[in-house]
Amino acid sequence: MSRTVRKETNIEEIANKFIIILAIIALGSFLLSLFYVPLIQILRFAFSSESKFTFAIFSSTITDTLNLKFIGFTFAQALLSTVICLFIGLPAGFFFAKYEFKGKKLVLNLLTIPFVLPPIVVLLGFIVSYGEGGWINSIWKGMTGTDNVLISIFGTFEGIVLAHIFYNLSVIIRMTIPAWQSLDLEQVEVSRTLGASEWKIFWKIIFPQIVNYLISSALLVFIYTFNSFAIVLYLGEVRFQTLEVRIFKMMKASLNFSGGASLAFLQLILNTIIIILYLLFERKTRQMAIGKERGLQKEKISFSRYNWKKNLSIIGLILFMLIIGVFTFAPILAVIIVSFTPFSSEVSPFFGYMQLFSFEYSPLLNNSPLRLLLNTLLFAFAATLITLTLSLMIVFVLKNRYQSLKKYQRSISESFISYMIILPMATSSITLALGLFLLFNNTSLYLNAVWFFIIMAHVLISVPFATRSIMAAYNRIDVELLNVASTLGASRLRVFRKIELPLILRGIIVGGIFSFAISLGEFGATNFLVRGAYGTLSIGISKLLLTQTLQLPATMASILIIVTIICFLAIQKLGDVELKV
Amino acid sequence: MTKLELKEISMKYERKYILEDLILEVNHGELLVLLGESGCGKTSLLKIIAGIIKPEKGDILMDGENITHLAPQKRKIGYVPQAQVLFPHMKIRENISFGLEAHRFDKQEIEDKIKWVAELTQIEDLLDRYPSEISGGQKQRVALGRAMAIEPRLLLLDEPLSSIDASGRESLALTIRRIQKETETTTLYVTHNQEEARLICDRVALMYDGKIQQIGKVIEIDKNPLNLIIAKIMGSVNIWSIEFIEKKDKHSIITTPIGSFQLPYEIIKHKPTGIKIPAEVIELSFDIGSTDHRSDTSNFILNGKIKSIVEKDEETHRIIIDLSETVSEYIKVDCKKELIKKELKPNQEVILHIDPLEVILI
Repeated sequence: MSRTVRKETNIEEIANKFIIILAIIALGSFLLSLFYVPLIQILRFAFSSESKFTFAIFSSTITDTLNLKFIGFTFAQALLSTVICLFIGLPAGFFFAKYEFKGKKLVLNLLTIPFVLPPIVVLLGFIVSYGEGGWINSIWKGMTGTDNVLISIFGTFEGIVLAHIFYNLSVIIRMTIPAWQSLDLEQVEVSRTLGASEWKIFWKIIFPQIVNYLISSALLVFIYTFNSFAIVLYLGEVRFQTLEVRIFKMMKASLNFSGGASLAFLQLILNTIIIILYLLFERKTRQMAIGKERGLQKEKISFSRYNWKKNLSIIGLILFMLIIGVFTFAPILAVIIVSFTPFSSEVSPFFGYMQLFSFEYSPLLNNSPLRLLLNTLLFAFAATLITLTLSLMIVFVLKNRYQSLKKYQRSISESFISYMIILPMATSSITLALGLFLLFNNTSLYLNAVWFFIIMAHVLISVPFATRSIMAAYNRIDVELLNVASTLGASRLRVFRKIELPLILRGIIVGGIFSFAISLGEFGATNFLVRGAYGTLSIGISKLLLTQTLQLPATMASILIIVTIICFLAIQKLGDVELKV
Repeated sequence: MTKLELKEISMKYERKYILEDLILEVNHGELLVLLGESGCGKTSLLKIIAGIIKPEKGDILMDGENITHLAPQKRKIGYVPQAQVLFPHMKIRENISFGLEAHRFDKQEIEDKIKWVAELTQIEDLLDRYPSEISGGQKQRVALGRAMAIEPRLLLLDEPLSSIDASGRESLALTIRRIQKETETTTLYVTHNQEEARLICDRVALMYDGKIQQIGKVIEIDKNPLNLIIAKIMGSVNIWSIEFIEKKDKHSIITTPIGSFQLPYEIIKHKPTGIKIPAEVIELSFDIGSTDHRSDTSNFILNGKIKSIVEKDEETHRIIIDLSETVSEYIKVDCKKELIKKELKPNQEVILHIDPLEVILI
């Protein structure tokens, strides 16, 4: 009896092991061929000359005065953008945590929209509202009667920082709301009874409770601005370049492959450090959130007849929020309005939308706008499917119950996979594309089917997001549920189908929409890799960005805005948006 | 009705044995309470029996059949974990039918079983609700019902009352007892709370150091605990360890943290580890100056100060007394109210008289 019994158990365990091994092989070969080998290729270009190791290229590249200047600029603008975002975002986060009002969720979602929009769309919106001929400056010129502009965004430091604040502000707002919400007010009350001053209470009681949230959200904004590409590529002109832009220009304009590879390597190291710091602090915020029950008491916005001080501060906060709202929303609205504004008296308001079907701009775009739209959607669908498959595999390798139950310890292959996916997270889109380009640019696959590499670049960029989304859902499942299910007689497959899958379905859908939206607007890697007719809407917009007629690019951008907003609202309906890596 | 036998089960956690050559038998149709302090490995043992974790060594036998290597799906064991884990995305009805569907019952059978289980656990009104819409006690009933639906050969309950509020506890305990008796399901019930054990069990097994140390009826163990640790787990009052035993002809002197006692007999049984002084055998006197008791040499005399007085029941006061000769030891004394003639106050000095023949060696 005992012998046959042993056999049965083994079949299920062997099947399970087999599936896990298959998943590890699939993941491993994907990461190896499309990430790690390309990465090694970058290292080869950075550290070898005539197939000998040399440190000379790397050291001369990073000590080059111009490069040093750009490295300094990359840090400076990221730091400044982050600090200003913190100063504006923190009180705004407090406002949302503290006050209840009708349509609060909607307002919060509207404020988040710039962050989820494609960078090139944000750039266009910024140009039409704050550029030389943009709305703000036109109004200013009208008001002052002069030809002087109020703000100049092209080729100026403040233009870049302003655009970055616009893009990333919502990250701080959203990530500090839980900080304020989880504030333990009992401690504040106790300190008051102990006679502490409000200032002391802030520094000794409140600040330590929110500091980890502040640091992790700041690090996130820092990562995004540090790796900013599209905005700096166009607004920075030649004077200002982030590392990302510098690498791109070295590769594409000066064909300095070794130099570009050296800078990409430097950037990768810096990014890895920041990402690890971020993951550290993000974990701390999660640990802090555990076990807190009574947080900030929510209040309705109300005015008191007697407390004018309080009224004043509420009015101040509301005004502040309105300014943020206008600042955030004007550029998006501007893009949609421009798409209906004829650029000359001879064309109709629907010129842009009619141009979608014409080939008039083909010489510039390499294709009709409609085909660009089609490419965009096809790439996004394909990238999403592949991303979800890979992310699910990662989750199941890392969360394999059979293993963890027996050993209370991860097997080496699992730990290996978990480390292997951190590095792609820390790799900028230009570096991803650079690796693929350096490794494959002479292959016939690259020459004939560049769409494959574009999709794969999108996959590499979105896998970390999707994985985290699914993993978060999976981590919420109580292991005992699965234990009980198996004692009730359910097979491994049945447990997966009936318990695990329904419980992580939201995570999968959210992850899917996320990667769809990322692919939809991806610019850096696509722009680096694109050849011939395989452009996307973002590429199309970028090509028309500096022409006089903004109506067509605005139309293309409007389409992206609408699709992205739909995606975003769908995610919102399903669960909390996490603007995290 | 199933008989469960565990043979030399061993299990390591982070290089330390939490179960070591553990032996246990649960009889046909019996409810055995496994009593032990938190972290002693009780839950791990349940999981091993359920097949969720594998023991490093040892065999699990159900009616003589070795199931050690059988997958949990095939064991037909009802497992109710400590946290009330219901499938959150399924209605109560679906939670109950989950195991039945896995066992491929047909539709009518499933309907009948749901009805039976709902009656058994008194959850008829809850069937169409989701787990998030019912209370903790109700969840525990559903979890119990879900386990019972597959008519398990063995039922494993992990601290089923621990997360239930006081008012629901007794009723749930009685429900468990009733269901267990009605269905004659052999049951292993794990808890760290000796009061729960007293409320519910046929027999109790005491567990520490990775082993079952003593097993038997509650009264037997109360009367005759194997050692000091077991007496502590059983919640005995007034127990102390024995530090030293001196044997003289016809009597022995034992040294404990509260002082040395002379016992008028020779200790013949195996070496005792502690003493127990039942709270009701201690006599108090309040006249510190009086000498008549001092001359009574057959009794132990201890000096103390009253710490607090609580009402134990209608006739008895329980007086907690700090012992003056020790640093932090105190003793509990049950005293009939009618015998207390003077008013008692905290910090009042008292003399305790203990008859050595009433001292129980553990």
